[in-house]
Amino acid sequence: MFLKRNKNTNAALNEFAQVVEGNSLGKDAWRRLKKNKMAVVGMIIVIVYSLLAATAMFLPIYPYDQIILDHQHLRPSFSKTAGELMMETRLEDLYFKAWRAGSLVVTEEQSAQIRKWIADNETNKVWDFCYTEGERQREAGLFTFNSTDQRTIDRLQEKIDTEFLISVDTIIYTDLESGKAKNLAKMEFKEIESIYANLLKVDIAVIEKQTLDEISNQVLNTLKAATPGLTNEEYALNLEMEMDALGEKGIASMAKTNLLGKVKTTITRSAERDLRSEIRSGAVEFPLNREITVNEVLTAKVSATKKHERQYFLGTDYSGRDMLSRIIYGGQVSIAIGLVGTLTSVLIGIVLGAIAGYAGGKIDFFLMRFVDIMYGLPYMLLVIIFMAIFGRNIMNLFVALAMVSWLTVARMVRGQVMSLKNSEYVEAARSMGASTGRIIFRHMVPNSLSVIIVYSTLRVPAFIMQESFLSFLGLGVQAPYASWGSLVGDAVNGMTLYPWKLIFPAIAMTIFLFAMNFFGDGLRDAFDPQSKNQL
Amino acid sequence: MTKYIVNRLLGMIPTLLIIITLSFFIVRIAPGGPFATERNLPEVVKRNIEAKYHLNEPMIQQYGRYMFDILRGDLGPSFKYKDYNVNYYIANSLPKSIVLGSWAMLLALVFGISAGIIAAVRQNSWIDYLSMGVAVIGISVPLFVIAPVLQLFFAMKLKWLPTSGWYTTGEGWKTVILPAVSLSFAYFANIARLTRSSMLETLRSDYIRTAKAKGMKSTTIIFKHAMKGAMLPIVSYLGPAFAGIITGSIVVEQIFRVPGLGKFFVQSSFNRDYTLIVGVVIVYSVILILMNFIVDIVYAQLDPRITYK
Amino acid sequence: MSLNPNAKVVLEVKDLKTYFKTDAGIVKAVDGVSFTVREGETIGIVGESGSGKSVTNLSVMRLIPSPPGKIVGGEVLFEGEDILKLTEKEMREIRGNKISMIFQDPMTSLNPFLKISTQMVETIRLHEKHVTKQEALKRSIEMLKLVGIPSAEKRIQSYPHQFSGGMRQRVMIAMALSCNAQVLVADEPTTALDVTIQAQILELIDKLSTKMGTAVILITHDLGVVAGMCDQVCVMYAGRVVEKALTEDLYARPSHPYTEGLIKSVPRMDTTKKGNRLFSIEGQPPNVIDLPPCCPFHPRCIKAMEVCRHAYPPIKDLGNGHEVACWLYADEATKAKALAEANVEEKAT
Repeated sequence: MFLKRNKNTNAALNEFAQVVEGNSLGKDAWRRLKKNKMAVVGMIIVIVYSLLAATAMFLPIYPYDQIILDHQHLRPSFSKTAGELMMETRLEDLYFKAWRAGSLVVTEEQSAQIRKWIADNETNKVWDFCYTEGERQREAGLFTFNSTDQRTIDRLQEKIDTEFLISVDTIIYTDLESGKAKNLAKMEFKEIESIYANLLKVDIAVIEKQTLDEISNQVLNTLKAATPGLTNEEYALNLEMEMDALGEKGIASMAKTNLLGKVKTTITRSAERDLRSEIRSGAVEFPLNREITVNEVLTAKVSATKKHERQYFLGTDYSGRDMLSRIIYGGQVSIAIGLVGTLTSVLIGIVLGAIAGYAGGKIDFFLMRFVDIMYGLPYMLLVIIFMAIFGRNIMNLFVALAMVSWLTVARMVRGQVMSLKNSEYVEAARSMGASTGRIIFRHMVPNSLSVIIVYSTLRVPAFIMQESFLSFLGLGVQAPYASWGSLVGDAVNGMTLYPWKLIFPAIAMTIFLFAMNFFGDGLRDAFDPQSKNQL
Repeated sequence: MTKYIVNRLLGMIPTLLIIITLSFFIVRIAPGGPFATERNLPEVVKRNIEAKYHLNEPMIQQYGRYMFDILRGDLGPSFKYKDYNVNYYIANSLPKSIVLGSWAMLLALVFGISAGIIAAVRQNSWIDYLSMGVAVIGISVPLFVIAPVLQLFFAMKLKWLPTSGWYTTGEGWKTVILPAVSLSFAYFANIARLTRSSMLETLRSDYIRTAKAKGMKSTTIIFKHAMKGAMLPIVSYLGPAFAGIITGSIVVEQIFRVPGLGKFFVQSSFNRDYTLIVGVVIVYSVILILMNFIVDIVYAQLDPRITYK
Repeated sequence: MSLNPNAKVVLEVKDLKTYFKTDAGIVKAVDGVSFTVREGETIGIVGESGSGKSVTNLSVMRLIPSPPGKIVGGEVLFEGEDILKLTEKEMREIRGNKISMIFQDPMTSLNPFLKISTQMVETIRLHEKHVTKQEALKRSIEMLKLVGIPSAEKRIQSYPHQFSGGMRQRVMIAMALSCNAQVLVADEPTTALDVTIQAQILELIDKLSTKMGTAVILITHDLGVVAGMCDQVCVMYAGRVVEKALTEDLYARPSHPYTEGLIKSVPRMDTTKKGNRLFSIEGQPPNVIDLPPCCPFHPRCIKAMEVCRHAYPPIKDLGNGHEVACWLYADEATKAKALAEANVEEKAT
């Protein structure tokens, strides 16, 4: 028994050969955290979410802002493509109409049931029933569509079979005289301008004027979105200021983007024309990658996919955007706001709290009076007013939330600093002649750090909830950007018809908040086992 | 005691002043105005309207006029709903919000405290895990998710309760249940967790050991000896809880279409209805400040170590 | 101050074992403690912090927080009945009534939210159901007068925070004795108090217990207190009683090296020569988790032998009830046998 103990020569032993392990607070906390299963699961989920959010750009998902109006409100499906779902929806509708018109014959009871469903507003059940019953009868040969309906179906089928999406990846310009090839995106505005003018065979001056007009319009529109409700004169004045602020360079780069877009559109159109005739002849296989040449000087790498072969695992929203990618990108926004917002508010809180606690006296009094008054305020109301009036963009949202959420941190840090200031070991350090800086950074900061870390972790879900709360009210993140809150907010109307729009973002958000709370609770218990399960 | 109350009531005045001033200027500093959207108004008409609402005066003069009106108890005319006074709107919608909020608070307190105590007393039993599990859901799931999900399930699928509306829609008290329950959920959760932890901590304290050594029954110990001490953190939590319920009612009133103050608030913010916004903020703040005041008094009543000074 | 062997035994603790389950292992906080308390007698339990004195007495009251603590063995006989076998309800009738307790920290041991009157009246009425509120209040006031609280009629309506520490401990004593308890367990009643108040409180306990015929178990780490008050002393170390004797015996003939060290480490005005350093026992008490079989004191013991490192010493009676657990008093045969057994065991592992 003794021998076995003594083998471990590295560990410190006491007189009884009992192993005496040195323990740092962090190590100890980590050991306790690892024991807490829920906290570990929470931590893993938080990490997975953060990775997903951080790598959203590289994930093989459809763009979150791509609107395909044909794909409105498609239900989630793992097996069926968008085209099949579109057809299904159309058929549901047609069968229902057929039932109404009396051409789809069902039993008396079934009719009564359908009427009851309609009265109860259970539209989904009606459609489901009509579809299954209709399909059954059509297969059995009991029912055929009239010619108009059949034509609608055929047209839809053709559309599903033939429509495709083209994307132009890179455009190469080949100089005819020197034979050099250049990437169009890397060329100067003036060069692109002349190429484009050549392409359209119009004068450069016309192009230039048109581009500038479009840019100023674009700036004006963003202005109007940011600060609504001004008079036209005020807008004109603001526009002038904005344009001045942009300067020559800024305008040139905007113009270049504008022109590149136009060139791309031209190429896309011509590619579409070519492809469509090829598809009719049935010679194309999708997905397709090829190079096409326009006007002898421009070559473009073009890829095309069938538009209605997409699969939406989590369904689509009201403008045919993929819910899966909206939820992932929404998570990106929510998590980023949660993290950055917490960080900002904690930093503000630490600085102000430490000043109040360390300086004491009048500074402390006024700062804390201010915090008290803010505490007594329904400050979310002020945030709502602020957002409603100063325009709804992510930056404003962020500023508004960070401005009001440092209060608790400031109070907490102040309390910590004040109690540590009078603690024996700080006094001991001071009596040994330690400088203020050393006392703060070697004694106070490390000793308050665990409290701050724990508080911050629990603060992140609260911050996300506040952001989502505002987004839900329509005051936060605006489309095409999304946050979990705005997704839920968009889904609330019509949730009986399209429940997936509500359920999936709600689940995604809830899981993250759950994980964050468990992780935070675990951290707190790990750092401070005395205060088990306190709020 | 009386002196303390008077002092506290006087102390509310600067807070209220700050709130009024802050909201008054926030709404006016921003570009655009309540009539900016009605662009096609002829200049003369516009000027007439602005004169009617004194918007053509310098900001300070408007502020002074507004403060004077408030002293008389007049919150001014609404800019958007032109024929009515802000007082009229608030008097109409405030009672609904108060009924909703009170129910939510009551539910949260009753169920939160009972669940917390049971969980603490039967620590590590299934009932502890169950109530704390529900509490974690309450804390993690945001109100605007809980409310539509409850609505979807209990009103639209099961049809036990009306989906929306208020007493007036003929469904009576049933209309209150879903909004009140969804609004109370988060606060139930927080109160249950707070009660549990503070009860556990109190039960570990020396004076509870003394009571045990005296041979007292555990139920007596809990209700006579531990209760008061364990309730202190809950009482101090009530202040923030009231504030949360006020903000939460904005969402709940939207989802369940309750014609309360919260619904007005968001609308008026979008409309830049200056007087209505500031009026609603004042009313909310007064409620909140009064609640905090009551909470302080209750706290002092509970804890004999606190003296009024 | 000598023990009367004919007095009735009120409380007898036999081989009591209380263990705590912790993350690091099982803590044997009390491991085979035995002692006897006779009517009217005062017994002192002495030991360093963590030696198990408080846990012993909480076990007697059955107030060990469980989990993690558990009484795993032994008997506690109160008036001949094993109270470890009583139901919770029967136990409640003993607590505060027949055995009562006062605690170390009077600042936190009284309920800060209830008036003194409430707390005292409830104790009396809890155990004597026929007593009316008025009577109980009258008796409480008398008790408070007895423990020396001035203007008790008025002060009884105060809250604990309005009393000083010493006064609160007096209230605790009054409360503990208000039901004519037969045994009073005083768990370091003076540790948290000022030195001047300490003497007053001890004197009060001594006076009242003599007057009421209450036996007292006095837990302390202060040998001076023991010398002044107790008839009998148990010295505890690492969860076990290492020496047990009449007070005079113990001071005259400290037999265990630990007791000897303890007594020597008390500063004395009469015998210590100027310039001599105060004696101190080197080292720290052991962590009682997974203690190997050995005398737990051996690393700090100046007289340690080979056998001390390998087996727990047997208890030896030195006469007149003076018991000691030390290898110094064992005969050679026992030592040799113990050593041999330990060697066999070691080889096996």
